[in-house]
Parts: sequence; C-alpha cells; structure tokens
Amino acid sequence: MVYYLIVCRSLTYAQRTASALERAGITARVLRSPKVIAGEGCSHSVRVAERSLARALLVLERVGLSPKRIYIVSGGGDYQEVRL
Amino acid sequence: MIYLDSAATTLQKPPAVARAMAQAVNRLASPGRGGHAPAMAAAETAFRCRQAAAELFQVENPEQVVFTSSATHGLNIAIHSLLRPGDAVVISGYEHNAVTRPLHALGAEVRVAEAPLFDRAAQLEAFAQKLDGDVRAVVCTHVSNVFGFVLPVEGIAALCRERDIPFVLDASQSAGCLPVRMGELGAAFIAMPGHKGLYGPQGTGLLLCGGPAEPLLQGGTGSASALQEMPAFLPDRLEAGTHNMPGIAGLLEGIRFVRTQGTERILAHERRLLRPAGEALEGIPGVTVFQAEDPAAQAGVLSFRVEGVDCEAAGEALGAQGIAVRAGLHCAPLAHRSAGTLESGAVRISVSAFNTPRELHRMVQAVARLAGHRK
Repeated sequence: MVYYLIVCRSLTYAQRTASALERAGITARVLRSPKVIAGEGCSHSVRVAERSLARALLVLERVGLSPKRIYIVSGGGDYQEVRL
Repeated sequence: MIYLDSAATTLQKPPAVARAMAQAVNRLASPGRGGHAPAMAAAETAFRCRQAAAELFQVENPEQVVFTSSATHGLNIAIHSLLRPGDAVVISGYEHNAVTRPLHALGAEVRVAEAPLFDRAAQLEAFAQKLDGDVRAVVCTHVSNVFGFVLPVEGIAALCRERDIPFVLDASQSAGCLPVRMGELGAAFIAMPGHKGLYGPQGTGLLLCGGPAEPLLQGGTGSASALQEMPAFLPDRLEAGTHNMPGIAGLLEGIRFVRTQGTERILAHERRLLRPAGEALEGIPGVTVFQAEDPAAQAGVLSFRVEGVDCEAAGEALGAQGIAVRAGLHCAPLAHRSAGTLESGAVRISVSAFNTPRELHRMVQAVARLAGHRK
C-alpha cells in the first residue's frame, strides 16, 4: 500500500498536525519516523493515505502548520521525498 | 480534618485524579520513547494535557505548554532565559522565594515596586515608576501566597508591552481560580504549579512560553537525537529526561475538573467562604485580620494574627484540633516585610473548591477559643 509520511519537527508538532487533520476528517496516525528519513535523529511523522495528501496539505496550510518534509512510501517500503 | 492549606497544596482532589494516576503507573510508558502502544498512549495523554492547558490559559498552541516539576522550576527557567548577572529586574513586594532566590543567586539587580497591601492602584503606579530603560524583565505574582492580594497584572503587563520589557507571571495562586490569559497578557512566561488550584498531584507544574527559552537541564528528549545541542523547538527544548506520566495524567484530570467547574465559579465559592470568615475573625478581640476592603483585591487566601500568641503556636493549636493551616513566613519574607508582618509572621488559611462554610465556621470558633485563652 502506498502512503505518505509527513515528517514533523517534534512529537507534539506531529500530534498537532494529526489532530488538525483528524478534525478535518482525514485519517492521520502519529508514528516514529523510520531511521532513514528521520534527519537529525529520532523524529515523528504523520501517516496519511495516498488519496488524502492534497487535501491534508490544504488543511495544514490553513491552520499554519508546515511539514518539515514529506515522503511517499511505496508498497515495497522505499521512501522517496516529495518536492512540493 | 478541616484542611485550610490549599495555597500550599490542595489535598482534596477530584477522584478522577487518583484513578488516572494509578492507571498511568501500569499503562503509560514515556512520550517519544518508542512507537509501541504504551509509549504512544503516554504521548496521547501528554498532548491532551497540553491541549487542555492551552485552552484554559488561552495559549496559541500546545507546544508552548511545557511540563515542569513545579512553579519554582518554571520560574527558574524563565529567569535564566531572560536575565544575566547584573541585569535589572523589577518585582513586586509580594513575591515568593521562588522568585527572589533565583534572582539573588543569579546576581540580578532587583528593584522592588513597593506598594501598600491591597492597594492595586498604588501597585500599578509603583511599577510604572520603576520601568525605565535599564529594566530587562518584570517578574510578578498574580496573587500573594500570604495575603491573597490580587495584583493588577493586566495593567503591569500592559506597561511591559508598551516598553517592550519581557513580563513573567507567577500564577501559583491564581491558576484555576482567576482568569490567566497568555494571549491578552502578552507574557514572556507564565509559571504555575499543578498541585494547587489545578488539583493535580505534587511534582507537577506548567510553564507557558511566549518566546525563546533556555533549558536548565540538558539530556534526552526523544527528538533530534543525533545532535548534541538541545532541540531548538518547544516543548522538547525544556523537557529533558523522562516525563512524570502519572503526574501528567493526574494533572490532566485536575485541569478537566477546573474547566468543568469554571474558574469564575471556583473563585466565587472561595470568596463566599473567606469573606464571612474574615469578618467573623475581625470580630474576635485580639485578632488582626488582613482582609481587603475591596473583595476584588483578594482571592483564596486570608491571613491573621492573634495578639499574644506566636503564629506557629497558633498553627500548632489549630492543628491539634484537626484544622490544618499554615503559619510563619510562608516562604515569602518579602511579602511579610511589605505588609509589616516580618517579625510576627502570620497564620494563613486558604481554601479550595472542596471546602464548606461549616468548616470555616469551625475554624473561626477554634480561633475564638485560642484568642480567649491568650495570656
């Protein structure tokens, strides 16, 4: 299954992000970022379905939350950064 | 036991506080330390607590809500973030040692905005006079822990905003019973304990951050772990080490209780208890009561002296009758100096949402007996 990971600067920021998305009806789950995309060490990401990313970005822009980075995760488990 | 020492610690808590703490011991791990269910459950509880506090105190976002071990801890962070040795700082004459000792240890130049007890207009004017171009910060209590004096912090904060001086509020006695609004005050920091008016357990506190902050402790945060510097972002920057999850779970329930009751209702209840008690105490020969003429100038706390009876002996005698009060200097010698009670000390009664008029009536009766037996 293909999905997106929105990498956040902190756990609390990830929780705010997930909370904003959930309020907008977008299923979002906080998880620890995979090591290869974590950047400066441990971080947290928000997982959203492939079909939800565009709407998620609109919601986040509206509430003033900026993702640090976004990755698309393929069915094979590869991570590719998404250029916005 | 009639417990009248809530300015130190509220002893009676909503039952949900203890339940949440017991569950946390068994079910919650540590936020940010692992992706497993107990760690994520802890993260969820911590976030809900930050959110609840942010909504109660009108903080823009939950990241600005930092968990501390006490108001003292938060005040130390605030003071060390804003001031360097030799910097000028203005405080009121009603500050607790939680403010004055860190300032003394730092070597700050402390200027006291002196004003008579319960004179809010004079207090505001005293701050206005002291705020010149040298001042690097203002630290002020919202409510005196000795006399319940409600300082005009909205006006003091406005003076600071006009002069671009960082304002630090010690909300130790006001959080949970008076409006504390981060956004309106424009404060640099607001520090508060969890175990008083927020009805959480001891060992908890909150620091609301309006700007950059420097950590007192360095260590693991579960974030940006490859770096040796503390993370630049809140709340992680100020939260090194494992969180007190049972405490945070209990604090969340305490805050929920306050939000359900409403701070206005709690304040009105406390004033309905203390005002008549103060008037009754004033009617006892030999008892001096520190009660404001204007009810709005006092909240939650009332102090008195009994002529010819040492304040500690009075506290001891009341304790022996099952009435818990606090006597002495209340860790606030500056406040006692300002009110002229530094030599004698005072007996303090302080109430919570759980006290009843009958309890206050019994306290008054006990003081009357004590005053009647004085030498």
